Amino acid sequence: MAEVIIPIGPQHPALKEPVNFRVIADGEKIVRLELTLAYTHRGIEKAAESRDFIRVLPLLERVCGICSHSHATVFAKGIEEIMQVEIPPRAQYIRTIIAELERMHSHLLWLGVAGHEIGFNTLFMWTWRDREAVQDTLEEMSGNRVHYNMNEVGGVRCDLSPSQVRAALARLPLLEERLKKYVAMLEEEETMLLRFKGVGKMTRHEALAYGAVGPTARASGVACDARHEDPYCVYAEIPWDVVTDTNGDVYGRTCVRIGELRESAKIVRYCLEHLPEGEIRVPAPKVAPTGECLSRYEAPRGELVHFIRTNGTDKVERLDIRTPTLANWTSVAMCLAGQHLADIPVIVAAIDPCLSCTSRLTVLDNSTGTGGMITFDELRRRNRARWQEEERT
Amino acid sequence: MTDPLTEDVVAGTMSTFGTVEHVRKNRFRITTTPDQIRDAVKTVHAALSCDRLVTISTADTRQAFELHYHFTGQHRTLVTVTIAIPRDAPELPTMSDLLLPAGIYERQIHDLFGIVFTGHPDLARILLNEDWPENEHPLRKDWKPDGKTFYGGTPPEGR
Amino acid sequence: MTGTSHNWSQRLVNWARMKSPWITIFNSGGCNACDIEILACLIPRFDIERFGILAKGSPRHADILIVTGPATLKQATRLRRVWEQMPEPKYVIAMGACGAGGGVFHGLYHVSESVDAIIPVDVFVAGCPPRPDEVINAVVTCLGLLAEDIAHGGKGWRQKKVVEHPDTMPHGEVQV
Repeated sequence: MAEVIIPIGPQHPALKEPVNFRVIADGEKIVRLELTLAYTHRGIEKAAESRDFIRVLPLLERVCGICSHSHATVFAKGIEEIMQVEIPPRAQYIRTIIAELERMHSHLLWLGVAGHEIGFNTLFMWTWRDREAVQDTLEEMSGNRVHYNMNEVGGVRCDLSPSQVRAALARLPLLEERLKKYVAMLEEEETMLLRFKGVGKMTRHEALAYGAVGPTARASGVACDARHEDPYCVYAEIPWDVVTDTNGDVYGRTCVRIGELRESAKIVRYCLEHLPEGEIRVPAPKVAPTGECLSRYEAPRGELVHFIRTNGTDKVERLDIRTPTLANWTSVAMCLAGQHLADIPVIVAAIDPCLSCTSRLTVLDNSTGTGGMITFDELRRRNRARWQEEERT
Repeated sequence: MTDPLTEDVVAGTMSTFGTVEHVRKNRFRITTTPDQIRDAVKTVHAALSCDRLVTISTADTRQAFELHYHFTGQHRTLVTVTIAIPRDAPELPTMSDLLLPAGIYERQIHDLFGIVFTGHPDLARILLNEDWPENEHPLRKDWKPDGKTFYGGTPPEGR
Repeated sequence: MTGTSHNWSQRLVNWARMKSPWITIFNSGGCNACDIEILACLIPRFDIERFGILAKGSPRHADILIVTGPATLKQATRLRRVWEQMPEPKYVIAMGACGAGGGVFHGLYHVSESVDAIIPVDVFVAGCPPRPDEVINAVVTCLGLLAEDIAHGGKGWRQKKVVEHPDTMPHGEVQV
């Protein structure tokens, strides 16, 4: 049977970063998936070798526009580990506050995207409107809505004034109230229940075998969280829980992310209320001794890993970044097998792909030998049509 | 979560493959040779119950290419298996049949360093653009962009 | 068709374009912060749809192309193709520091010289990323340019005509 390529260009109608899949399909069912990524490959690892520790942090922040603080923090703490520099407690708390606020904005963003993927645009508007409260807090604290540039090797750059802490605490009750609504929605909202349950299911054994990380793995019952396995900042000292679920499908991943939103709100509240006094930075040496470090961090999408090697200068010898989306791609490829073609946007969105962190949908239809242009919008329409058909029968 | 691995356990299981080093509180490094790497990985996976591959990192030390396979598991200990392969003959058997996630990491490494993983089902280009010339591997230490080669994209006079 | 009614219909079309410009977004390999800020324009807080600005999927339906990212080599040819698919009059907004000349990624091995080297840019927006307010301001600036272009009878007064190459992937000696 001739294989026909149906491309979806890297230019999408909404939201997504450029990516190209090749899906080998049999009618409406997917047989296999092949990946072509990295339209956003820019050569950052090479550039990091020629920038000193001050200049490299803004570059690393811009690896990704959603988890920018993750990259900066994991690098800074890796260099601090090699230099054997302990940053003051206040700096640790501030890093944690920004990290959890980033997780909140990222998960709210994702919730909106997931709603958009199933045609539930009201959820998109609601979550992004609530997200603006988090963005305002971040802008007050750091000066920018994204790319906060809070980190430096040796601590943080900006302190939090008492009025900023008060303003942030004043916004939390609104967010906590809205989160209760989203939790209720998970149990009651028919659209979400029907379109998320049973889609993209992955068992615990599969999640481990495919190397899934983050909420994708935690939804299948794998309790892997870099904040718990390799504690950094203040996660070993403050009360918080790893959120897992046993569903293993897109619904489970939604539950995990909403649970993590509530945990993050709790962590932010605790850290703001218990912010210790003191310095926000210690003087760090300009050059790092020769050494090596594998720095791990729990980004909103999963475990982010920086392998850093230094050589006695003020630049790194080698920086190897492994982003959580790269780790999750294999699991996407595997759990798409046997699913409906029209479920692709939902399943791909469920791992919360951050392609700029990592780097067009091509469908080969084995059975009919036909092909044509197919957009994500078309797939969403087919998904809705299929759901309506199932509801009627 | 189970108890962290102790140095005795790691050394006892892995010392046949090479030197075992206790790098940090919960981190071990085993340096071994390319011909033993597959057995070392199988042992780490089975005997040390490291059921998750974290990542495969590479570094170019100008004398050789180093590959680091990082594993972790329920015990929350990080175990790294390190090998060095010669720069002029960068070939290694693939791990993608043992560890499914390794496939995508190996494709990336092949694009950036030019290391050939024999037995890999699909070592196609993944990161660099379609026009990128063959045998130009940007992350090698001796690679610099040549003023004359065309690397892809529309040139200024094309606009 | 008399001269008067032609002017009347053309004036109607110009009025519609000015009152409701449709945009399309192309990510040419950026970190995605600019894309998120553009999407933040759609939400109730900024709500560009009340101005008649619709975000369309296809470049064939759009008046304004918003380019984010520093135009990686992989996306450069696609960007060119997307721009060529847009019908005239078309405008290009290059977002952020990346759009201006690569931003933090200037000079990296997989990044083009700038977005302006690939397609002619009409408006540059400063910021990393620019705030949604600044994006709306950029669209309004574009509309100002559209009014001036209508008055001058085209873009020729401020831009050289771009020659469209049949093959957008030429080979030869180039400066990288």
